[in-house]
Amino acid sequence: MMELRSTLAGRIALTAFATVVLLFLALPIVVIVVTSFSKSAFASFPPDSWSLGWYETLFADGSKWPGALSLSALIASLSTVFSLIIGVTAATALTRSELPLRSAVYALVLGPLIIPHIVTALGLFLLFEPASMLGSPLAIALGHTVMASPIAVMILVATLRGIDERLEDAAASMGAGRLTIARRITFPLAAPGMVAAAIFSFITSFDDFYVSQFLSSVGTLTLPVQIYNSLMFDIDPSVTAISALLIAFAILALVLVGLVRWLGSGRQNALLSVETATALGAPGKETP
Amino acid sequence: MAATLAGAPARPRRLLASRRTRAGILYALPAVIYLLALFVYPIFSTLLLSVKDLDGALTLHWYADALTGVNLSVLFTTLRIAAETALFSLVIGFLLANAISRLRPLVAALAMLIVVVPHFISALVRTYGWIIMLGDKGLVNQLLISLGAAGAPYQLLYNEIGVVIGTTAMMLPYTVLLLYGVMRGVDRRLLAAAASMGAGRVTIFRRIYLPLVAPGLATAGLLSFILALGYYITPALMGGPNQTMIASLINQQVMKQNQWNGAAAEGVILLLLTFAGLLLVKLVSSLGEAKKRSAS
Repeated sequence: MMELRSTLAGRIALTAFATVVLLFLALPIVVIVVTSFSKSAFASFPPDSWSLGWYETLFADGSKWPGALSLSALIASLSTVFSLIIGVTAATALTRSELPLRSAVYALVLGPLIIPHIVTALGLFLLFEPASMLGSPLAIALGHTVMASPIAVMILVATLRGIDERLEDAAASMGAGRLTIARRITFPLAAPGMVAAAIFSFITSFDDFYVSQFLSSVGTLTLPVQIYNSLMFDIDPSVTAISALLIAFAILALVLVGLVRWLGSGRQNALLSVETATALGAPGKETP
Repeated sequence: MAATLAGAPARPRRLLASRRTRAGILYALPAVIYLLALFVYPIFSTLLLSVKDLDGALTLHWYADALTGVNLSVLFTTLRIAAETALFSLVIGFLLANAISRLRPLVAALAMLIVVVPHFISALVRTYGWIIMLGDKGLVNQLLISLGAAGAPYQLLYNEIGVVIGTTAMMLPYTVLLLYGVMRGVDRRLLAAAASMGAGRVTIFRRIYLPLVAPGLATAGLLSFILALGYYITPALMGGPNQTMIASLINQQVMKQNQWNGAAAEGVILLLLTFAGLLLVKLVSSLGEAKKRSAS
């Protein structure tokens, strides 16, 4: 009886603790969004008076934010394209072929996730500085691709592993060429994964600070570097508005990923049920 | 593959395999070339730079530099902050993951969403949020004062308290995700079996549950330690001069002092610390596997 009571108390205490932690994880984000609509940034929470002032200064003449925003968007778009090329080819090699040194290739591809980002950034600086490529959006995009491509590879490997290879085999047995199979079977099934990989590559590049910090120059400061400088040296209140926008973008991107995944999940099931019923039949489903 | 082709004649099989191998090499090339050129080679040149003097002669004096005076204290600060961060994110992560793993699936999914979504929002933005929260007039101090827990605002920013709160919040998604996975994997029947044999709650927790999740705990702690080692966004923004970390020092040496060799040596030290941590992770996980095998 006593034991029961103590566990109940323990459970209540644990749940209360978890609630407080969850609240604290969400609060900084809520606080920024709310503060961005306040007249005075920073001062107090909740704000005394409301305005859209910081959003107006965001795009006012002489503001550094629109330039930084479009530069980061350009770099992230480039980096997304590079990451997708690397991701699709590498994931194909890792899941649809007999690759010699497979685990070594996989380790190489995922390496940038493990090595401290600052070390990779320093290495890229040492590579691009002698080539006088500092400040070049292309160089920054190439650098971001090192960070973003492992994530694209991981997502696409999981996607390709999730596609039933019997569908591809079935199409081949019916005389479809490799291009046709890729176009009609693999690509449509992998599309949701590719969209997810693209979105996460974009976010990774867009949010990267370490590589940008090393590879940008005075004229080409990406958005995170501008935000860092603004927070470090001269807290410019319009930073709340840009931060709130970034929060909105991130949540939008995540909702998009969820939506694409959800729409895509039905596709393979539909294909599989039709194909297995007709062409494939039992042979694919060998019972041990 | 081998099983389905077992009946086929040998020749076409070898031909097929070699075509698949050739395709694999071809498809792997873009990633391999890219990463050799923009990841492996740059790190290799960092290594080289760290043992070369300005005139090109081999030297270890950048390492001697890195391990003395102010630089040595930066190294200790980095290790200390990473350890504190790992400890706090492990303890909080353990309790949080444990609480979430007891919830109904839908509520648990919602709670995990609150943990994971912030992870996809820029670390700079989240750090800024914490700065607003922890300021003299921030939410936390307002709360403490209105609860009567504090007479005057606590100094929660630009010192180590701020840094540890901030970096712990940044690492928490990793530890919670990892630990939640481990806890979901625990076979509840083992706990029930122990209970049916008369073991008390504390005994079950200590003798069954804890040993089962221990490898996950060690991995989560080491992971957040490793990640915190190379981190500096939050410490730079929420700490003071006494919280300078290696990554920040590397940045200063490159950008302000043009000391590339020194920065390279610091980078290599960071790399070695990371590898040491990873080696420990590997050791822990193989120990865990061995234990699991002997138990079953």
